Amino acid sequence: METSTRNTLCTIVLLAVLAVVLYIFEKHGTEYQIRILNNMAIFITLAVSYNLVNGFCGILHLGPNAFITIGAYTSALLTMSPAEKQLSFIIEPLIWPLSVIQVPFAVSLIAAGVTATIFAFLISFPVFRVRGDYLAIVTLGFGEVIRVLCNAMQSLTNGPLGLKGLTPYTTLWWSWGVAVFTVMVITKLVNSSYGRAMKAIREDETAAKAMGVDPFRHLLLAFLISAFFSGVAGGLLAHLITTISPTLFTFFLTFNLLIIIVVGGLGSTSGAVIAAALFAWGGEALRVVESPMNLGFVTLPGIPGMRMVLFSIILMVVILFARRGIMGRSELSWNRVFAALRLQTKA
Amino acid sequence: MSDFFRLDNLGMQFGGLTAVKDFSIAIDPGELVGLIGPNGAGKTTVFNMITGFLTPTFGKVLWQGRDITGWPPHTITAQGIARTFQNIRLFADMTVLENVMVSFHHTLRSRFWKAMLGLPSHKREERRIETEARDFLEELHLGHLADEKAGSLPYGQQRRLEIARALAARPKLLLLDEPAAGMNPQETMELARLVREIRDRHRLTIFLIEHDMKFVMGLCERIKVLDYGITIAEGTPAEIQRHPDVIKAYLGEPKHA
Repeated sequence: METSTRNTLCTIVLLAVLAVVLYIFEKHGTEYQIRILNNMAIFITLAVSYNLVNGFCGILHLGPNAFITIGAYTSALLTMSPAEKQLSFIIEPLIWPLSVIQVPFAVSLIAAGVTATIFAFLISFPVFRVRGDYLAIVTLGFGEVIRVLCNAMQSLTNGPLGLKGLTPYTTLWWSWGVAVFTVMVITKLVNSSYGRAMKAIREDETAAKAMGVDPFRHLLLAFLISAFFSGVAGGLLAHLITTISPTLFTFFLTFNLLIIIVVGGLGSTSGAVIAAALFAWGGEALRVVESPMNLGFVTLPGIPGMRMVLFSIILMVVILFARRGIMGRSELSWNRVFAALRLQTKA
Repeated sequence: MSDFFRLDNLGMQFGGLTAVKDFSIAIDPGELVGLIGPNGAGKTTVFNMITGFLTPTFGKVLWQGRDITGWPPHTITAQGIARTFQNIRLFADMTVLENVMVSFHHTLRSRFWKAMLGLPSHKREERRIETEARDFLEELHLGHLADEKAGSLPYGQQRRLEIARALAARPKLLLLDEPAAGMNPQETMELARLVREIRDRHRLTIFLIEHDMKFVMGLCERIKVLDYGITIAEGTPAEIQRHPDVIKAYLGEPKHA
């Protein structure tokens, strides 16, 4: 059997297994388990798309929270019914035509991605005039601008009150469907000539230019694709937690994503997937440390925020002992899995 | 005068410092021309102006009848001028094969969404690129190293890879910036043979900077000498070797007792 056929078959089998697992959880899982699985999928989408810019292009972009916000608000405003909107917007009414539009969830997700992409395009011109720390600051600023605008533009976002009572459309099938699609297309992209051009820019921008690669076009491409999937994931997130407000999408979210891709390995899609899954699961599992603990002889009071302390410690340990993250820049591929299996059987 | 490649009174000023002044040259197709001069004479600046990394303060770069002065580097490469760098600039964390494949990107026809969806037409193009890239590696005797990381190669092979990568961009004019720097005499001799070979096989025109006099004198058909940004001599290797200004620039004024 040819390796490419074998790999395709293996991927199909893996997806089928994933589908069965999701089906079982959907039927018999507790609400809590389903929520963790949904979170996992959304964080996988976010991390993999963020990694395209930060890991593969080597650009320190600190504003994915802006695109997630834009996606979340866009899709929420599009799925709410006109009556719900009238009830929610008590201080200032929502502007026309958003006040009367209602579209299916799928359409709202695409609209979320497209809107985020348009915003990304608009800011890309100032962003890519600079590099390094300066670029980080410009994108960081953009994230803040969007958050402040969400607070201020009451007739569009309902200000600090946010949007409440969204229909929980985000099922396991939606979140995992988007995650699988994102991972597949981004993997294909980074393994193509476009991906090589992006990596070349990361390695040496001057040499890349001399070999005929236009840095602006390729950084823009990565930035827009990343923004699109961040926007879609924002839409999924909004319809998972059903309440969104400007405080939900601060720099803190970007910080978490940064931890995920650094721990996973900058420039490794499989690393981003593994780290995102661990993060979503760990975030819940480590809730224990924030609740009061009875150790028999002494009772520790619950300390809110303890999880973040633990996460930071994990990050430091990873940076100290595995500087390039779990995966470095290598990928888990079927070829590697089979090579490892062959070694096992020989030994 | 030739319409193939011409520099007209090229000049570069950084603030008050004149790095290059009134640099003119015309190169015919198939020529092998050398540019020499002491350190800091402005040789690399000339290359940077040709390839668009610097916009000349004065003068013009004419390429196949077109004025390409100040065009962005990637466009100039797509027009058929490729270069190597004095200090090696490989994509260190990518494989040897990938390094060469990057140079094909500007010839890629399929759009990014075809790549993302893995459409057959794109896969065909990828396969073509890989085969042709491997041919370039074979040509420079790097075929067996295709899957190694470029940064892990020994120095001499890194230099050869730089040439392979530049060749893969399909230039008509190849600019080599000190290709023999850091090589031993044996390697330098092999490099001279290689440069001549690739020129003949790919019908290239080559313009090169080099410090190694033996290398330049043996290889180039015509030499230009720069000192402090000014052209002090031009001619065949034999003429250059006898030229009093060149001897002065390299060895200093004879002391009068």
